[in-house]
Amino acid sequence: MEYLITGQEMALEDKLQVLTDAAKYDVACTSSGVERKGNGKSIGNCVAAGICHSFSGDGRCIALLKILLTNECIYDCKYCRNRNSNDIPRATFTPEEICTLTMEFYRRNYIEGLFLSSGIIRNPTFTMELIWRTIWLLRNKYRFNGYVHVKAIPGAAPEVIERAGYLADRMSVNLELPTAEGLRTLAPNKHRKSILTPMRQIQDGIRMNRNDLVLYRNAPKFVAGGQSTQMIIGATPESDYQIINVAEGLYRKFGLKRVFYSAFVNVTEDKALPALPGGPPLLREHRLYQADWLLRFYGFRAEELLDERRPFFNVMLDPKEDWAVRHLEYFPVEINRAPLEQLLRIPGVGVKSAGRIVAARRSGNLTFQDLKKIGVVLKRALYFITCGGRMMYPVKLEEDYLVRQLTDSAERVKFGSDGMSYRQLSLFDDGEFTRPVSPAEQRQAALGQL
Amino acid sequence: MIVYRCEDTAESVFTAIYQAYEEKRDHRETYLSLTDDPMLFAEDIEVRADPVKSRKVINTLNRRFGGENSLQLSMALASEEADKAQAVYRTVAAGLAGNCRPGHLFDNLADDYIHRAFALARGVSTETGHQKQFLRFQELENKVLYSCIGPKNDVLVFLMPHFADRLPIENFMIYDEKRNLFGIHPAGGSWYLLRGEEADRPSGIVYSEDEIRYQELFRQFCHTIAIRERKNPKLQQSMLPLRFRKYMVEFC
Repeated sequence: MEYLITGQEMALEDKLQVLTDAAKYDVACTSSGVERKGNGKSIGNCVAAGICHSFSGDGRCIALLKILLTNECIYDCKYCRNRNSNDIPRATFTPEEICTLTMEFYRRNYIEGLFLSSGIIRNPTFTMELIWRTIWLLRNKYRFNGYVHVKAIPGAAPEVIERAGYLADRMSVNLELPTAEGLRTLAPNKHRKSILTPMRQIQDGIRMNRNDLVLYRNAPKFVAGGQSTQMIIGATPESDYQIINVAEGLYRKFGLKRVFYSAFVNVTEDKALPALPGGPPLLREHRLYQADWLLRFYGFRAEELLDERRPFFNVMLDPKEDWAVRHLEYFPVEINRAPLEQLLRIPGVGVKSAGRIVAARRSGNLTFQDLKKIGVVLKRALYFITCGGRMMYPVKLEEDYLVRQLTDSAERVKFGSDGMSYRQLSLFDDGEFTRPVSPAEQRQAALGQL
Repeated sequence: MIVYRCEDTAESVFTAIYQAYEEKRDHRETYLSLTDDPMLFAEDIEVRADPVKSRKVINTLNRRFGGENSLQLSMALASEEADKAQAVYRTVAAGLAGNCRPGHLFDNLADDYIHRAFALARGVSTETGHQKQFLRFQELENKVLYSCIGPKNDVLVFLMPHFADRLPIENFMIYDEKRNLFGIHPAGGSWYLLRGEEADRPSGIVYSEDEIRYQELFRQFCHTIAIRERKNPKLQQSMLPLRFRKYMVEFC
């Protein structure tokens, strides 16, 4: 194999160590989006919901064998561990090694499939060709029928990307940084245009393939699980508003399945990168994911959540609560009447519980107790809803008051504090009975004056 | 008040439901019990599981409530909770009386019994999902894949179709050590369950040559993939509860 530059004599254990370590900063590890039954002759099937097989020490899931084909790279992106000016051990897998590892891990139920990315070796087209050759072997010689996620290398020849697309379930092109300036400063070898070109190509491929599938049911599927991308958060000074606008654009215009956000971890200590004394911006990443869900499943638009004047998410409140307290004119919402779109905007009501509310209220009026059964998070929702025209407690619909209630758990209304509880009524509920008797009262009682 | 005493099998519970309808009982005054605990002022009726009656009930459930809801009812009956029979019975009664459309059996979650059956089914379904995630096969000397699990609920029957579809050309066996139950899949054939005797408990397992190497490789992979700066054992534990770990190679 003439393309092996180093690492030919390395043991498989060492290669796996080096190339896993190099791949770990890639976020996408989902195995969802494709439902494919086993064919009875080869190993593997796919489950639409995706299956995570383990969870690593950082709490992220391990669904796919996430490795690089090689960590040799001709590029010098400042944030990347594999940049060519970084002195780290380098290694390259042979396609056979990757296939054997995938098959042996898969039959032991360790993984759901393969995630293959790569450093750029020689040139993008050559790298893409290597990736294609590996997954071709995996699909045809090893007859693997499970999930395969590969990277489309920006700048590679379109026909190689297309060939890979017919073998992979999901492809992704990493946007890396949300704006063109960011990309210019930190990744001098990458250009926004060269990243968006393969993204557009895959989108068009999926769209055309859908038409083919209507005509010919058994036509080969092109990137059946759709495409995804990822952005690094906190390496460049973009605001949350810019980031979710970019994400919304990608969902709308490029038909992406997922946009991943990756809190920046400073591994190269380059002078162009920000120092992060508090560790990676994990809370910011979390808020962006919450907003991402609001965009995809709750019918929110990016400009509703943030705007030019407030370009960052509130640290204390989640984006939905934040939106709700700023738009009190929509609240309170009557649970028994409001349409689904309105239910989805209530903090504490998710997609599932909103659906269950709509189904359950056909059989009768819902009460707050029923909502608890349905799975509504009442400690957040109670400020924004009425059941049968009544709120759970008397609350003021007032921004300051609600923010205080939602953020300070000590000030929250406690269940039972005002007599409303799940216990049966009792004669002794009256607080007067439990009050200790004062010495004055004792004296009065003794003298018969009470 | 009537109490049907059934055994802890789906067949027995379905037979009891059949009998309750056959004998035209008032559903509000009728209970299904899996235990022998006496109830005040109740008339006890022993139920003997009958495959024909049970099949009839299953067919009715499939026809009236659709495949998905029937599966949910079966899942509820695979739970470990003692009140499952009663919850399923009253859910079925409510569904049949209310003429609910297929797929809408569990709509009225405000009803206590429906909610209970729903919650039981969800618990079993969640555990089935967990086992699909966290079950690990080990290759034995004779290339058979062997896995040992210890689930809270009786989920083996729901796991087998998944793995049979996934690994059709493998000989594999899943062993539920809590119930001494084997799920066996011969390569190219169809799977079946086998209830073992005490003497059948597997012992003296010998791995194939490569097994230890791949276990070590995967352990190393799991260790390397974690990002040190993002360490979060609490999150890991909530996603992967500790009770699964003793069966998983990467935590051994």
